Amino acid sequence: MSSQTPVRRRAEHHPHNTVIPAVLVLWLVIPLTPLLLWAGASRWSGTARLPQIFGLRGWQEALDSGVIAALLRSALLGVAVALIATPLGVMAGRALGWRLVRRPALPSVVLLGPVVLAPFAVAMGLDVVILRLGVPGELTVVLVLSVFALPYTTFTMRATYLGLDPALEEQARVLGASSRQARRCVTLPAAATGLVTATGLAFLVGWSDYAVTLLIGGGQIVTAPMLIGSAAAGSGNDALTSILAISASLPPLVALAVFTYAASRRRTAAHT
Amino acid sequence: MLLILAVTGTALAAVVATSLGLLPLVGQPRLSIAGFTSLSGDLRAATQESLLTAAAATVLAAVIGLTIATLVGRAGRGVRLVIGLAAAVVTVPHLVGAAATGLLLSDVGLAQRWSGVSAASWPELVGGRWPWATVLELAWKESAFVALVVTVSVGRQYADLREVSAVLGAPPRAQWRRVLLPLSAPALASSSLIVFVYSLGTYEVARLLGRAYPEPLPVMAYRLFTDIDVAARPQAAATAVVATGLALLVAVIGLPLVRRLGADR
Amino acid sequence: MHPRLARLLLPAALLGLAASACAAPGAPAGSTTENRSWSQITGQAKGQTVDLWMYGGDQQGNAYVDDVLTPAAAKLGVTLRRVPVADTKDAMTRILAERQAGSQDGTVDLVWVNGDNFATGKQADAWLCGWSSQLPNIKFVAPDDVLVTQDFGARVDGCEAPWHKAQFTLVYNSARVATPPTSMSGVLQWAKDHPGRFTYPAPPDFTGSVFVREVLYSTSGGYAKIPSKFDQGAYDKLTPKLWDALKHVAPSLWRQGRTYPRDSVALDRLYADGEVDMTMTYGPATLTKLVADGTFSATTRVLPLDEGTIGNASFLAIPSSAGDPEGAMVVANLALSPAQQALKADPGTWGQFTVLDTHLLSHSDRARFDNLPASRVVPPYDVLSRNANPELASSWVHPLDEGWRRAVLGSGS
Repeated sequence: MSSQTPVRRRAEHHPHNTVIPAVLVLWLVIPLTPLLLWAGASRWSGTARLPQIFGLRGWQEALDSGVIAALLRSALLGVAVALIATPLGVMAGRALGWRLVRRPALPSVVLLGPVVLAPFAVAMGLDVVILRLGVPGELTVVLVLSVFALPYTTFTMRATYLGLDPALEEQARVLGASSRQARRCVTLPAAATGLVTATGLAFLVGWSDYAVTLLIGGGQIVTAPMLIGSAAAGSGNDALTSILAISASLPPLVALAVFTYAASRRRTAAHT
Repeated sequence: MLLILAVTGTALAAVVATSLGLLPLVGQPRLSIAGFTSLSGDLRAATQESLLTAAAATVLAAVIGLTIATLVGRAGRGVRLVIGLAAAVVTVPHLVGAAATGLLLSDVGLAQRWSGVSAASWPELVGGRWPWATVLELAWKESAFVALVVTVSVGRQYADLREVSAVLGAPPRAQWRRVLLPLSAPALASSSLIVFVYSLGTYEVARLLGRAYPEPLPVMAYRLFTDIDVAARPQAAATAVVATGLALLVAVIGLPLVRRLGADR
Repeated sequence: MHPRLARLLLPAALLGLAASACAAPGAPAGSTTENRSWSQITGQAKGQTVDLWMYGGDQQGNAYVDDVLTPAAAKLGVTLRRVPVADTKDAMTRILAERQAGSQDGTVDLVWVNGDNFATGKQADAWLCGWSSQLPNIKFVAPDDVLVTQDFGARVDGCEAPWHKAQFTLVYNSARVATPPTSMSGVLQWAKDHPGRFTYPAPPDFTGSVFVREVLYSTSGGYAKIPSKFDQGAYDKLTPKLWDALKHVAPSLWRQGRTYPRDSVALDRLYADGEVDMTMTYGPATLTKLVADGTFSATTRVLPLDEGTIGNASFLAIPSSAGDPEGAMVVANLALSPAQQALKADPGTWGQFTVLDTHLLSHSDRARFDNLPASRVVPPYDVLSRNANPELASSWVHPLDEGWRRAVLGSGS
């Protein structure tokens, strides 16, 4: 780690180095400020610059609307989707990234299919087909959302595998590891960050979906996005909508923070 | 693969069949291209609007996303904050992002109130002549997505290579151009492609922040789909087919490019 | 079979499955409750879980259903589950898909509909019919009340039970509008005199669509001049005046009429932010809370029109694919009971106008309605509905919405 010090010092002398981060932080934060302000507003009328009365009115409304149970259902859905879409994405990303398939163009186009279709597909025919098949709604929601999550996991893993040398795995096998051991003990740890991102993205697909959960799930699973969507569709719900949105953003963030902390702990431990 | 093909193939086939009048909700199926022809003028305007929005949002998202990733690669002060914020932004649903952008950028939004610009001279960002607010919202959220994907794929490799190049005496700009750019190109290209295709298909942002006419293809499709007259459904499906075809076309053009970038190394 | 061929054929096979159901919709249509007695129905309803799909953007409505209606239904042995949707059209999408797939055990048991969704469902033959006329509590509804026997020109035919009455209402800020207009033509004139201070939602938004019909009534010289069923000749004769009036006022609207708010929520926000001085709603019940919580200014007032405005009722409908129709009927009957209607009419609870004719009620029940606290913003229903105009048939809605898009929307920019 000590060899990095001169690099870092030189970088800090660069004048851009405080301006650009500040601008980027602003770019990321500013669109969220109305939400944060509204979350603490009990009354904000007219065009005042700040709320007239700060308070927790919206939080009470959010509790009344059953946000906690909805968040739990969203979490379950997200985990289920991540459990299916991540392993599949790892396999597909490995095949594409390391060019283990002969014609990679076709799978790539197919993979983009769900992104292309996502918003329309559900309402315009897919729901009818699924209803005809008679598969239970909860199961199909997970399956369909996993399909929609696959492009994200696959492309993330493809990019990760592109950055990894296949020779590494081969070396491990030369040294006597089985191909499964090589994959598990050598490649996967090296791809850990990618794996976590892929898992996170897959989780978010399930966590934040509205249309599939409602139309294919048939309203049997009321999740947080459904509460957000219906609150946003009414007048005078700004505080409630903001709080629902914030409470839907916090859990993934906390999970991420915990993971980052654990990862940095592990890295320090490995160094000493 | 089979699963994706089954789901997307079925959905696509159903949309095409609906657009050709083969899956009517009422009455007998009859093959017809009326769904497409009856709306050709609106379809053209909507296609233009969609392409414009998606292209602008993608370029912005890619540029800003790459900047964030560069910053994170440099490991300077505040990097944790930036990457944490980017992750936070990715978790915010587009619907909420759009609602917040509306509160911020509308004619008497928070930006106008705080900046002190008079309401009369505030530009028409929301629902105006150009889809400013829509583009900004998409760029905002998708730049975080691009930044995360690039950061993840470049990862430690960049730190190592950059150290080497710094030791060899390369100035920061050359480090960026010769090391980061080629390293991140595959991830940047594939995530940009996803952003573009997603922006073509997204509905809620343009509906909340755009104007009533001309509207992007997905908004038009949704409006027709929920028309009081179910006979408008073939037209809705036709709009969806155009949007999907457009996105597929972009994917087919874009993917070889993405692959070539990956093969360069 | 060759695996690749199998992959290509799978979607085709699935689609075929779908098509086989769509080509001939017929089986579940027009199902009725036949001749079961009400006690049989309540018996079958026990233990059922009723999924009520309703627009979830109205906090008071959500709270009423969760805290008042659901516990009362539980006492009758029916579990009521509220499914909040951003737009009733989401529920329609699900219902029509179930209808297309021929489901008999659908997940929408009861849905809160207004006229245009009811008409869409009727066109697709998606409602269970003949049941609402058999509900015991329907006896408290006046049989000759057009608002509850007709919905958007479509005969109700026992396909839906009335829930509450609504009145299209213009709303203004009395601090900004010194002398409020008293007719629709006066409103348009006021807009011309105060550039940039008025606008309306773009049809096909429900509220914007009603506004255009109100203007049509005004430019045609009253609703009596318009045939209630759509008629191309009448359309060609009457609409040029309508488009003229709207195009004429467009340059004086918010943003010079180059664009319009996309829906009534967007218009409400413009009004709340003081960008315009008037808004409009088909559900005046929400005004009390919007003023109380500070969303709307305390000087918000309702604007009565001399010629009256369009009134209608909203209903609870049961899809023909519903899995628990008996439970849904029990809930619809409960929602129609004098006790529930009175609780719901309290402005502190929800403030929705009752569909019952209070003259048909017992003394004690009538007293419940007489003793309701008054809203500080919304006048009582009999004041609001003075000279109420009937709705046009739903067949008018699509041509008018499309005509507006071509004639008025394009002209502004």
